Amino acid sequence: MRRLFLSLAWLMAFATSAFAQDLQSILQTHAEEVAKPSRNSVGVVMDDLVASGLPQTTAFLEQWAERNIWQNDETGSFFIGIEDGDDLTLTDIDSGEETSVSADGYSQLRPNGGVRRVIGTALVQFQLSDPDPERRLSALESIGRRADASQLPLLIASLEGEDDAAIRARKEQLINFLTARFGENTDDRIAAINSLSKDTSVEARAVLNQILATEVKIADALPQDDNVADVINTLSDHTAYYAQLVDADLAPAMVSSGDVLAALEANVVEGRVGGIPLAQLNSEDARNAAYVELAAAGTVPPLVTADDVTATLDDFYFYSAYDEPDAAITDAARAALDSVETRVGWSQFLDLSLDGLSLASIYFLAAIGLAITFGQMGVINMAHGEFIMMGAYTGYVVQLFVPDYTISLLIALPLAFAVTFGAGVAMERLVIRHLYHRPLETLLATFGISIALQQIAKNIFGTQARPLTSPEWLSGALVISDVIQISYIRIAIFVLALIFLCVLLYILKRTRLGLEVRAVTQNPGMAASMGINPDRINMMTFGLGSGIAGVAGVSIGLYAQVTSEMGANYIVQSFMTVVVGGVGSVFGTLAGAGLIGFLQKGIEWLNPSNTLAAQTYMILFIILFIQFRPKGIVALKGRAAAD
Amino acid sequence: MKNTFIARNPSVLWFLAALGLFTALVTIASEATGAGLISTSFVKTLGKTLCLCLIAIAMDVVWGYCGILSLGHFAFFGIGGYSIGMWLMYARTEIIVTESLAGRTIPATPQEVSDAIGNQIFGVVGSSEFPLIWAFADSFWMQMAFVILIPGLLALVFGWLAFRSRVTGVYLSILTQAMTLALALYLFQNDSGLRGNNGLSGLQNLPGMDDVSQATVSLAFFLASAAALALGYLLFAWITDSKLGNIIQAIRDDEARVRFLGYHVESYKLFVFTITAIIAGIAGALYYPQAGIINPAEIAPIASIYLAVWVAIGGRGRLYGAVLGAAFVSLLSSWFTGGGAPNINLGFYTVQWVDWWLVLLGLSFVLVTLYAPKGIGGLFDKLVRKS
Repeated sequence: MRRLFLSLAWLMAFATSAFAQDLQSILQTHAEEVAKPSRNSVGVVMDDLVASGLPQTTAFLEQWAERNIWQNDETGSFFIGIEDGDDLTLTDIDSGEETSVSADGYSQLRPNGGVRRVIGTALVQFQLSDPDPERRLSALESIGRRADASQLPLLIASLEGEDDAAIRARKEQLINFLTARFGENTDDRIAAINSLSKDTSVEARAVLNQILATEVKIADALPQDDNVADVINTLSDHTAYYAQLVDADLAPAMVSSGDVLAALEANVVEGRVGGIPLAQLNSEDARNAAYVELAAAGTVPPLVTADDVTATLDDFYFYSAYDEPDAAITDAARAALDSVETRVGWSQFLDLSLDGLSLASIYFLAAIGLAITFGQMGVINMAHGEFIMMGAYTGYVVQLFVPDYTISLLIALPLAFAVTFGAGVAMERLVIRHLYHRPLETLLATFGISIALQQIAKNIFGTQARPLTSPEWLSGALVISDVIQISYIRIAIFVLALIFLCVLLYILKRTRLGLEVRAVTQNPGMAASMGINPDRINMMTFGLGSGIAGVAGVSIGLYAQVTSEMGANYIVQSFMTVVVGGVGSVFGTLAGAGLIGFLQKGIEWLNPSNTLAAQTYMILFIILFIQFRPKGIVALKGRAAAD
Repeated sequence: MKNTFIARNPSVLWFLAALGLFTALVTIASEATGAGLISTSFVKTLGKTLCLCLIAIAMDVVWGYCGILSLGHFAFFGIGGYSIGMWLMYARTEIIVTESLAGRTIPATPQEVSDAIGNQIFGVVGSSEFPLIWAFADSFWMQMAFVILIPGLLALVFGWLAFRSRVTGVYLSILTQAMTLALALYLFQNDSGLRGNNGLSGLQNLPGMDDVSQATVSLAFFLASAAALALGYLLFAWITDSKLGNIIQAIRDDEARVRFLGYHVESYKLFVFTITAIIAGIAGALYYPQAGIINPAEIAPIASIYLAVWVAIGGRGRLYGAVLGAAFVSLLSSWFTGGGAPNINLGFYTVQWVDWWLVLLGLSFVLVTLYAPKGIGGLFDKLVRKS
């Protein structure tokens, strides 16, 4: 059976090509209609062209619509020609052979607008059943961009021979869209509209909105024969609606205060306007009074007062009417759009939650190192942000030497840990060790280190931002629908934050080091008498916290730009994350990062134009939050909570 | 009473005498008096430095005496500057606008004048409406009152919230830092009503005093700053010497014990926090007309940390230490960053102080914290004890 079908198809293809060998000969049979086409006569040509099924027809039709077809005045044959001064570059429509000739003796075909539209329709028809799937897709794309009632039958016709599943689905979707907008039968249209009520794509929403397109109209009384969408309350903006009346020649023009001033200035007589001395004209009322005098004398158009405006507006109805006359269809579309918008709302909420989650993981990454140095050891390290920066610059330097971004990332992560671990240990040995009993002074000393490190980075790398390019497989975004999408880098940062959480919990709860860290935190003297060396443990803990900051720096650098000030941008937020979450608890930091991340996104959503305001309100919220829960979300209880 | 206070604190007299001598010398040497030994711009720098000294002694009282490391006092300084800046900018723009409208045949209505002023001031942030907070900008006395009231009220509310829930130590430092960050971020917005990151500018031109030369104006501000510093110094010396001052220092040393002795610790802390905020506001109101411009970057958290740095380098717990620290570090800083210090050529690399000054400052700060916790003031102690 299948073989039979194949051979039949082959035979048919052979037959058509044998029947009409080239385009030129088909065109020559209709030479008159091609050279001087009109909308009525061109149909015959199109029918024959479509029937021929020649692949070069598409190119010919495109050039024809673009007015690039030329006819030889003597032989009458047609060419694709590009004009270049007096010369003409001709391309044979069948063989594609190029020749250059003088433009004399050739005349250009100039199809009018109506004919071009017929050509366009035929072109779509051709492209829709073109054997090349790329061309079919691009035709569908252009239909999607500029939908037209005439495309509907073409699409339905082309659906039959479609064998590519994806393209077929797209065609069916477009047929649905077009039916909703242009279908002839009301029931069909309503069915199509109802089927859109679950589609949150931008395209489907655009279709519904186009059906619901309205126009503002002005009338003396509400019409019965119009599909009225809404009656507008003109009280909201007098001036704008009155201006519309003026535009429609239904009311005299308003006289603005500027016009009043100009009119007064033009009509000064002996230091007075309308009998009022100039010096008294320093208020709006006095000016209007003078203007009314001028108007009474007939020199200027009459003043339209605010009362006049209200009275005139009261005489008219402003209403918006649907372009679509059938109320049943607009009602269905309205209902469908409402249901779509509810769905879009939920999707946006989900999208916002994902954004909040990824912001929370960034804050968590920035703060987790601090949760160790500040949370476990109680050391205020203002240079923590500079460790983040140091990690990011390590990543940047590695990328300078290792061009492959994946490999360089794999090198940069442990290297950043090593570099900042070393820096942290050095800082602990040289500075912090001497200040354990003076916590406020640790703050100031580490701040000194922070500004020194920042300036050194600026001296080495300059002030402009350095890129930390992410590998190919991390670019792009995971698109779930038109509303919900999340970039792969954010997913990677989330995963990294999770890994950090697990590793840290493992180290603190399941290893000898963690046990000793907790022991030294709770009671250094007792820990020392049990044979733990508190000095060594403090050094290791501080190194660990700093090292994690370095790794966080690499991942933050992938997402944001690397500058010498990047750490300073995170330091206050990081401290807040730890304080809000509850000092001394890793889960607290997690909770703090979650709260701050989601809160910031939530406030941004309420006031999307302004991220600065969002940060301001978030900090205010945190200040208030600490009033009511001074120990943070996860407060330690019992003796561990003692200062 | 006054005699005994001075007798107990000879350093106050010494300080006032030194300040008086310094002021007199600068006045004689300034361009305004004809000697011209000190340029007008340097008089301004000295005047600004005196304002910084004033906020530094406020910081010293709150940190060195009461033990509250506030990292937000520059916010109050900035608010003081903004309050006076609003009047300066409004009044000057009003004069300019009135002059430009005076040439018209028909006199301008009050609405037109106000619209034109709004356009001049807020055109840069794409607006022309006066925000609510400018309601009293035309009144010098109201804005002067705001210099005191707004920092005072803000400190009162913030301090009450913080001390009430017993936020202490580093937590309080972080909280105050968050406060100043929030304020700076808010002011950075264009619709904050204070011209966003453009800030307020042209503050050095006093309204209605275009005929008076900048030399005279800057000397006047210098003298006013010196007077404010002297009065502030007297006030704080008196407070810290009184019984109240003893309790404040006791709170610094052992807060719990003072509380158990029956004192209401929160009220004392709140008083210190608020009064120093007010003095900071006044210092700001004197500083910014000399600086000429104020923008939100001025009150970024780093500024308040520098303030703590000055006090620490000068020596905490002594008022003259704070003055020394602020004057020494800020003048040194402008000498280094202004290109005054000679660059050091190491052969393979030239150390340019514009680039390396902050590194030097940061590291020297670490060294002071580690090895000289009493700062420059500590040196004086040693000298006094030896003699």
